[in-house]
Amino acid sequence: MAGSGTAHLRPRDEVLLQVEDLVVEFPAGRGRTVRAVSGVSFDLARGETLGIVGESGCGKSSTARALIQLPPPRAGSVRLDGVELTTLRGEALRRTRRRLQMIFQDPISSLNPRRRVRDIVAEGPRVWGAAAPVNGGVNGGVNSGVNSGGAGRADGGGLDERVDAVLEAVGLDPRTAAERRPHEFSGGQCQRISIARALILEPEVVICDEPVSALDVSVQAQILALLEDLKARFGLTLVFIAHDLAVVKNVSDRVLVMYLGKTCELAPSEELIARPAHPYTRALLASIPGSGLGLPPADRLISGEPPSPVSPPSGCRFRTRCPRAADRCAVEEPEIRPLNGGDHFVACHYPDI
Amino acid sequence: MRRRLGLGFWIATGWIALVLAAAVLADVLPFARYDETLAGPPQTGPSAAHPFGTDGLGRDVLSRVVYGARVSLGVGIGAVVLGLAIGAPLGVLAGYRKRAADAVIMAVNDVALAFPALVFALAVVAFAGANLRNVLVVLGVLGVPAWTRLIRGATLSFAEREFVLAARVLGVRDRRILWREIMPNVAVPAASYAFIGMAVVVVAEGSLAFLGLSVQAPTPTWGGLINEGRTLMETAPHVVLAPSVVMFLTVLSFNLVGDRLRALSDVRQSGLEPVRQAVAVLPAAEPRPVAGALLQVEDLRTHFLTPRGAVKAVDGVSFTLERGKTLAIVGESGSGKSMLIRSVLGLLPGTGVARGGHVHLEGDELTAFTPEEMRQVLGRRLGTVFQDPMTALNPVRTIGTQVAEPLRVHLGMGRGQAREEAARLLASVGIPDPARMLGRYPHQLSGGMRQRVTIAMALSCGPDVLFADEPTTALDVTIQDQVLRLIHRLREERDMAVVLVSHDLSVVRQWADEVIVMYAGRVVERGTAADVFERTRMPYTEALLQAAPRLTDPAHHRLRVIPGRPPDLAAVPDGCAFRPRCAYAQDRCAEQAPPLLSEGGHLHACWYPTGRTMTENEGADSHGR
Repeated sequence: MAGSGTAHLRPRDEVLLQVEDLVVEFPAGRGRTVRAVSGVSFDLARGETLGIVGESGCGKSSTARALIQLPPPRAGSVRLDGVELTTLRGEALRRTRRRLQMIFQDPISSLNPRRRVRDIVAEGPRVWGAAAPVNGGVNGGVNSGVNSGGAGRADGGGLDERVDAVLEAVGLDPRTAAERRPHEFSGGQCQRISIARALILEPEVVICDEPVSALDVSVQAQILALLEDLKARFGLTLVFIAHDLAVVKNVSDRVLVMYLGKTCELAPSEELIARPAHPYTRALLASIPGSGLGLPPADRLISGEPPSPVSPPSGCRFRTRCPRAADRCAVEEPEIRPLNGGDHFVACHYPDI
Repeated sequence: MRRRLGLGFWIATGWIALVLAAAVLADVLPFARYDETLAGPPQTGPSAAHPFGTDGLGRDVLSRVVYGARVSLGVGIGAVVLGLAIGAPLGVLAGYRKRAADAVIMAVNDVALAFPALVFALAVVAFAGANLRNVLVVLGVLGVPAWTRLIRGATLSFAEREFVLAARVLGVRDRRILWREIMPNVAVPAASYAFIGMAVVVVAEGSLAFLGLSVQAPTPTWGGLINEGRTLMETAPHVVLAPSVVMFLTVLSFNLVGDRLRALSDVRQSGLEPVRQAVAVLPAAEPRPVAGALLQVEDLRTHFLTPRGAVKAVDGVSFTLERGKTLAIVGESGSGKSMLIRSVLGLLPGTGVARGGHVHLEGDELTAFTPEEMRQVLGRRLGTVFQDPMTALNPVRTIGTQVAEPLRVHLGMGRGQAREEAARLLASVGIPDPARMLGRYPHQLSGGMRQRVTIAMALSCGPDVLFADEPTTALDVTIQDQVLRLIHRLREERDMAVVLVSHDLSVVRQWADEVIVMYAGRVVERGTAADVFERTRMPYTEALLQAAPRLTDPAHHRLRVIPGRPPDLAAVPDGCAFRPRCAYAQDRCAEQAPPLLSEGGHLHACWYPTGRTMTENEGADSHGR
């Protein structure tokens, strides 16, 4: 692992978002440091969905927040369409950051309880005014997709129509929904409102941080289907973060597996499930009840509990729970490397191949 | 709104409005001026001409109380406004900017709070002169630290919320975030505290005036009036009583309004809170005990009586459970699955509940037990594990004392013996180094370890049935596997039965022998795990199975979408509760509720059950009937 390296990155001109050697750390009191993310790299091509999966404390949410620079990472680079975000400050950062939007886990806490749905969704365009579309319709654009030719976007007079259109796009009836406040909606509907708020600014990348983990199965399927529809309709690029591998596989083109702030494995989603090479990925898959993948029982693939990110193990961070760990794993951190020369990458000295 | 605030709020608001209006209109009201002596005979009690009587100089007490309100309310409102005007910006700055600004402001604030406030006020007023302006300024400034602290706390709690983060991602500037996102949320607790603050200031001003350190005579203030009347206590008590009662009612009203406003800041109020009403008993069928069953539940009903009607959380559920088996109860949130096991365990609120049905545990009817008898059963024969181990464990007591407690209470073990047994229990649930673990506190353990501890506690007295309500929902998937394996192993070792409540179909599929699927408080399908998952009959179960993503499906596989959402339990649709969301619903489903029919032990409540080979026959059959 749980390792570092950039062998899996594609050429810069082929990707929309490139993250290199991201490091996120927080003070933990008494002079100690939480090493939330330690040298993670990945990239996204336009129109692609990258899934990031891992257990609590693996740094997936810290990664998401570092992408939007809230707070900025301790080190590393986040490049959106060639623009380096980590060195931007103030107004320039504010202008660039809106091209990334985010959807959060807690549908209730994501919406201001004192504002009406119409105001919540209209906030982005109100702040940016006529200049709202940020990427000149590169990906079709929500507004040009739903308004005829975007005539309504030039002035505030078209704002109501824009809000109505985006609410309709996420499956809410603007006539009944727009004037109400968030507490009158169920969790799934609140999540739709959050998606509408993010989409109205026509973002290039939408970061979804556990968007369905608080929802019931039937509602989860609704939101996943909605995300897939919106992605196809508006050409969105998604970062989809979740702890549930089955959910991540369902929506992602490629999946990145993280453990304790490091990258374990990156592969196209079918490939990752069919041929998991990293011992941690295999343990994660085997732990899912009734996975039907023919893996050994999980208690033979993983033992114990995750170590504290304040004092992570030396070498490979997974070695304390790994049945394959050898002496080398304690002293040498594995570099991420391609398997079979293809698009399957793993950071392990002794992968299962 | 009117109903939520309650009658007391409106009476209090009315009183404040009355006092305020009287104070403002004092000059035009038809009574003698406050300083007109001998407006009536001195020291006479209440009469038509002088409703509050007259004081020692024959001045009209009502007039003096009303004019006194000008000072008392003026200082009360003015000081609060002043304190808010200084404290709120500081609090918002500290709470939103954090870091250096927060550190400096709060350090100064803590020093200021350490000052003895009233002594400070006395000193300043004595030095600077006792007049309205000085009293107001001193009391206002003294309120600043409390305001700063309150506003900072409220700001901090909202600044951490995701909607603020979302606004920043949208590119909203800080100033607009403060005005649009944070201020409206902070305003309600601030308004609530403002009223309580006014009550405090009115009392403080009264105290100063009583000591003669407020506005000087002849201008009346409430505290001054009480002080003046003190000497007449025996001959003319009304001179003291009138201002005292008015001040008391005013302070009470301010506090009441403040309290009610605070209740308002809880936005989520569903109207489903149980009304205060004694426990009612619902009619149920005669019990028919099944031989050989360890736990038998018959026609169990739990209805919550709310202002919106009866919420049927559990509505006629029956099942039996044998030793060595695991029964799983699955359903979405609001299906009544957690309420079902709470009803079985008798863990229901004491008011606003109507219940019915029977629960038998090896021949004992638990539903007829007294609370004291039930307590004995709960520790010793029925064990429970809940979703969040942190709330199940007492944070300030060691693991050792908590695990040993049931052993000492129920089994009467001595201290040393109980500790030994506790260590043995911890070892049996796979906790490494159990002897050392006894001395630790819950927060020093990981979530998985904490859940192992609650399992150890549940097992300490050797229960017959272990109830596990979403035991692994808060845990990571690799830890979930460990905990479920543990429960399974312990069931085998101890020959217990397990009732597992879960929303996760794949967990249930792997670990349960029997499965109950619940929807809107009722059982809609029941059978062996193989029956329910391989030979699904109920369309709801089928839809749930197809809505959950599976690892073996290809990426971007289209999941089955169940439209709509689970019904409101206070207004369950007529006929079949699942009908509005069901792909197979027909007219009959809206008219008649389908009964729970058995098909060789596999039960389902559907007029048109699914099933690859039988759908057509069944469908035709139902039509024919």
